[in-house]
Amino acid sequence: MSSDEEGPKQAAPAAKPAMSRFLKSAGDSDSSDESSSEEEEMSSDEEQQQARRPGGRFMHGASSDEESDEDQKRVVKSARDKRLDEMEATGKVMDNALKINDWVAISNEFEKLVRMVQRQQNVAEPVPPFYLRTLIDLEKSANAAVVKDKESKKKMNASNARALTAVKQKVKKVAKEFESELKRFQEDPEGFERDFQATFVSEAPAPAKAKKAKKGNDEEEEDEEFTTVGKGGKAIQFTPESIFKNLQVVQEARGKKNTDRAEQIRILEKLLEVAVTPYQQIRVLLALIASRFDYNSSVATHMPAELWLSAQKEVDQLIAIVAKEPAYSIQEITEDYDDLAERSPKTEKDGIVRIRGSVISFVDRLDDEFTKSLQNIDPHGTEYVDRLKDEKGLYCTICRAQALYEKTKQEDPLGRVIMRRLEHIYSKPDPVVLALEATVATNDLKPSVVLSDSQTSSLIHSLCVHLYKSGNSLLRTRAMLCHIYHYALHNDFHTARDMLLMSHLQESIHNADVATQILYNRTVVQLGLSAFRCGLIKEAQATLQDIFATQRVKELLAQGVHQQRYQVLTPEQEKAERQRQLPFHMHINTELLEAAFLVSSMLVEIPLLASIDSEEQKRKAISKPFRRLLDFADRQVFTGPPESTRDHIMQASKALQNGEWEKCRDLIQSIKIWSLMPECAAVKEMLAKRIQEEGLRTYLFTYAPHYRTLSLSLLAKTFSLSLRSVTSLVSKMIWTEELAAALDQSAGVVVFNRVELTRTQQLAQTLADKVNAMVEQNEKSLDQRLGVSNTWNDRGDGGKGDKRGEQTQERNRRGDRTRGARGGARGGRGARFAQGLGSQMAGNTQRNR
Amino acid sequence: MAEYDLTKTVIPYCDRHLVFPLLAHLAESDLFPVEQVQTAQYELAKETNMVDYAVSLFEQLHPEEEVPAEFADKREKAVSTNERLQQEAQAVLDVIENPEVAQSLRQDKNQNLQFLRDHYNVTLEQITALYNFGKFQYSYGNYSGAADYLYHFRVLSTDPDLTISAHWGKLACDILTGKWDVALEELNTLRDAIDARTPSMPQFAAASSNADPALSQLHSRTWLLHWSLFVYFNHPQGRTLLLETFLSPTYLNTIQTSCPWVLRYLATAAVLSRKSASGALSSRVRHSIREIVKVIQMEEYQYQDPVTQFLKELYVEFDFEAAQKELGKAETVVANDFFLGEFREDFMDNARYLISEAYCRIHQRIDIGDLSERLNLSRDEGEKWIVNLIRETRMGADAKIDLEKNVIEIHRPPLPIYQSVIEKTRGLAFRTQALGAAMSRTLGAPEAAPTVVEAQ
Repeated sequence: MSSDEEGPKQAAPAAKPAMSRFLKSAGDSDSSDESSSEEEEMSSDEEQQQARRPGGRFMHGASSDEESDEDQKRVVKSARDKRLDEMEATGKVMDNALKINDWVAISNEFEKLVRMVQRQQNVAEPVPPFYLRTLIDLEKSANAAVVKDKESKKKMNASNARALTAVKQKVKKVAKEFESELKRFQEDPEGFERDFQATFVSEAPAPAKAKKAKKGNDEEEEDEEFTTVGKGGKAIQFTPESIFKNLQVVQEARGKKNTDRAEQIRILEKLLEVAVTPYQQIRVLLALIASRFDYNSSVATHMPAELWLSAQKEVDQLIAIVAKEPAYSIQEITEDYDDLAERSPKTEKDGIVRIRGSVISFVDRLDDEFTKSLQNIDPHGTEYVDRLKDEKGLYCTICRAQALYEKTKQEDPLGRVIMRRLEHIYSKPDPVVLALEATVATNDLKPSVVLSDSQTSSLIHSLCVHLYKSGNSLLRTRAMLCHIYHYALHNDFHTARDMLLMSHLQESIHNADVATQILYNRTVVQLGLSAFRCGLIKEAQATLQDIFATQRVKELLAQGVHQQRYQVLTPEQEKAERQRQLPFHMHINTELLEAAFLVSSMLVEIPLLASIDSEEQKRKAISKPFRRLLDFADRQVFTGPPESTRDHIMQASKALQNGEWEKCRDLIQSIKIWSLMPECAAVKEMLAKRIQEEGLRTYLFTYAPHYRTLSLSLLAKTFSLSLRSVTSLVSKMIWTEELAAALDQSAGVVVFNRVELTRTQQLAQTLADKVNAMVEQNEKSLDQRLGVSNTWNDRGDGGKGDKRGEQTQERNRRGDRTRGARGGARGGRGARFAQGLGSQMAGNTQRNR
Repeated sequence: MAEYDLTKTVIPYCDRHLVFPLLAHLAESDLFPVEQVQTAQYELAKETNMVDYAVSLFEQLHPEEEVPAEFADKREKAVSTNERLQQEAQAVLDVIENPEVAQSLRQDKNQNLQFLRDHYNVTLEQITALYNFGKFQYSYGNYSGAADYLYHFRVLSTDPDLTISAHWGKLACDILTGKWDVALEELNTLRDAIDARTPSMPQFAAASSNADPALSQLHSRTWLLHWSLFVYFNHPQGRTLLLETFLSPTYLNTIQTSCPWVLRYLATAAVLSRKSASGALSSRVRHSIREIVKVIQMEEYQYQDPVTQFLKELYVEFDFEAAQKELGKAETVVANDFFLGEFREDFMDNARYLISEAYCRIHQRIDIGDLSERLNLSRDEGEKWIVNLIRETRMGADAKIDLEKNVIEIHRPPLPIYQSVIEKTRGLAFRTQALGAAMSRTLGAPEAAPTVVEAQ
């Protein structure tokens, strides 16, 4: 019953017609006639009183109403007495139970009693003497019962005995709690009773209202009446003068368990309507927005859309007020000020009213709630799209906040708000950004950086530059990643790559927080895709390789929760994981990603497979995931027509291996997912060209042993390449010693001069390679112990070191394709890149576990 | 060909005085209208103290106009400043030039200062006067004098910023006076100073000072790269040294990040030093071309010109026709370039050689006429060239000219397996030894590990 006691109490003033009468009198500021001694005592410290008894003010006012005195008294009695009556009823039940020695019933009733008393204490009423008396009695009889029980064995059944001990213990515990009261009571029972009665009389009106309000709330049909009446009474009730008082009442109730949040919001809304001065408006808005965010207590669920929308509007309003009135400033840390006093620029020392609050935290929260709601809405429904439309407004709010902070020159929140803005646009295609920016342009409050001549990259650039200048290293890192992502998205692979390498992020990213790591992963993946779109197949393959090697692409991109095979996530971990997920519209299509990765792997791996002849070499694979899939496809007895993307690529790989480049091209081009890639026609064309070239290379590798000579023009015809490009390709292979052959210019043929190795020779070569690898390994581990930088950067450290350095370089040049561990400092940009990513993935793995 | 001219790109990275030779070169070659070049020269000279030169330029430019009066003022002022500074500097110079003093000066700068102060009453301010006077002399074109003063200043001064500045000044003086040996030495000391992570930077590049040290170091390196071009393309051994320096990881990174156009000089130097590659050179130079091609490929998106394109066509695309075309363009580019102009012949020679080498390696039978055409030579010349080539490269055993069919036959027996195994295992013993030595040293002094490595 008392669970809604607090809420209704505040609602109480508006609840009853009778009340409105008394409120009028409160407006006359009629001093209270009936105030008891205690009230006078308390009124000396009004705030304290307020704190203890929310809503106390009106109640005192009520008691001053003489007209309805009798009526009130009656009501009052029943309100207060109802509780006492209940207590006494409980006591009676206990007495009865005692008589029949039913300890189970006693135990239950006692618990009820304790709860009631506790509730009473919550509303700051003294402990009723009745309770104390019962306590003492109970203790006595319990002790007696125990003694009796011991004397007459087996008289009590098991549950009864258990209840008895429970009661005994409980009584002891409670007695300890009320030790002082008990003492006082035992010393002077009458005096205690008198005291109690005195407070009882003085506070009588309070429960009266509480009870009535309760009634009103409990009954459904009365609820409606309650609102209508409330509306009628509001104009009188919420006056500008009382705003601060009301505000304080609301704020005190905030965060308490029994607070009715919806009601609070309603009160604050009304307060906002009557707020006149900017100070009042700001104060009410701050409280209102905060309580809107409070509405959902649980972290897991998201805010209802309507609530969010009104919160967004109010944040807008708040920003507008603060921007319009430069004399008011909202700060997180201010000096203490009187909450109840009206303040204006004139009353302040330096003419600026500082109010405690934080706009940036509201903006942050707003944005977070938006993301959260997107995470929770089914992305395939229309609701998602509808919700997504709200982003415009949100983006606008963020921009307004940015403008505000630019005006007030608060660097720290400015950086944060710019980051928010950047995060809304960095991954979006141009048209979306244009649309978002268009709404900002119509706004009255504009940030310094806006889109000019539809150049999204310049917009992103200037936002990022601002963040680079800010001191916050986390923001800097994130800005950098967003910037790189944006470049990659716009197919500016080289710039993006250079930026990523120059940032040296890959070395430090494992120390970053999970969200930043996810952003890093996204950036790297986008970079790989951009390389793919630009036709830089090798780069694309190397970039995407690491993330695919982990086989947890979705998890690393925060686009799905990974099913762990051997361990089960605890609910907390799973919850955290779910909170990290990106909303659907931010996702990078993993199927497209996989297609890009597998196709580039195919183009790299198939010629390599064809070029190697010994078993040992076969184990070396550039792309393990691809090789695995290929092996699996090889083992298939029967292959049907391709359905999935993977099927397509596997069959295309087979065709490429057999030299049927046309079939391969058709298969690759018929993959449906390409349609999701921007400029898909150009990409397909590029792929066709690559397939032709790699087809030629594969063909040469595979069939060279069977030919003495091959005509170049025939090759050109088979692969429909120009003679010139065929010559160039073949020359390249000869030059790099991939192909043991020479060109005969006059006849226009390739002459193969292949030497078959004997088993011994092969073994000798393998052995030499292995020894080499071992020495390299040793050097590497030594370097690691001594610090790599020394061997790499110090050029002039004498002949020996120099030579060593050069040898290492030479080894690198010899082109160990898979390993980039040492190639970092020079030339091997791609290598360093891959390495950084690899170790980062490892770090991430650990983190995510 | 003006589109390939790098003067404009290079100028921002050079000192005002270093730009004069560049512009003079432009005036000679007629890439740009003479008018414009002269105007540029005048604008350049106006801000220096070389008043007479500026006036003469002005007269050339505007023959009928009167020389502005400000020059006279400036001249007077310059002369008076000169006298004042000279007097100030002379005091120190007198002391230093005293042979007794010169003998008693040591390595330790602080000690020297103390010594000078105690015995000859020379204060820090007076020493700084040396710097000021040197700088002033430089500003009116007395480079050798400036070099002297700056040298003395550097010996004595302890102020790191001014010392670095004096370094730069001295280097500029040496370049402008054409003392290449000295300049080279100066260049090396300056490079060491920069690589030692000095937080300071030349004052004239102060636009981006206050930045973090890494950035200023990058700037210094970029400047050094450009200035060193003057030295490296004039010093007799400059090209190999250029390769050594520019291909070191730090400078290669600098080129890639801040000045990709330097790749042209790097590529040219690599082509030029081809012939001397038979001598005892570090492997870095020997393999320079391969490395440079890699870099060119990587940076293609931000810089390309006929020289780099030539290497790319030759070693990446193996498109000999295109390479030939690019070489034709590259010839004019090289001829017109301030730094490379003198090396046109050499460059063409070496480039031809590279083409034919690559061609021969890939082909088994080559038509002489065709090859001569690829090399931009007439048939007879081509034949001579090829014979020379065969002789030089010791291909004699493999390559034979068949005059009847007019072809070269090249037989390249595949490398025997044992030889390739030997190749592979060659360095192993040495490397293992080095490894062992390093390890034993580390074990001996584990706490001093970093220094041990440095000492290797």
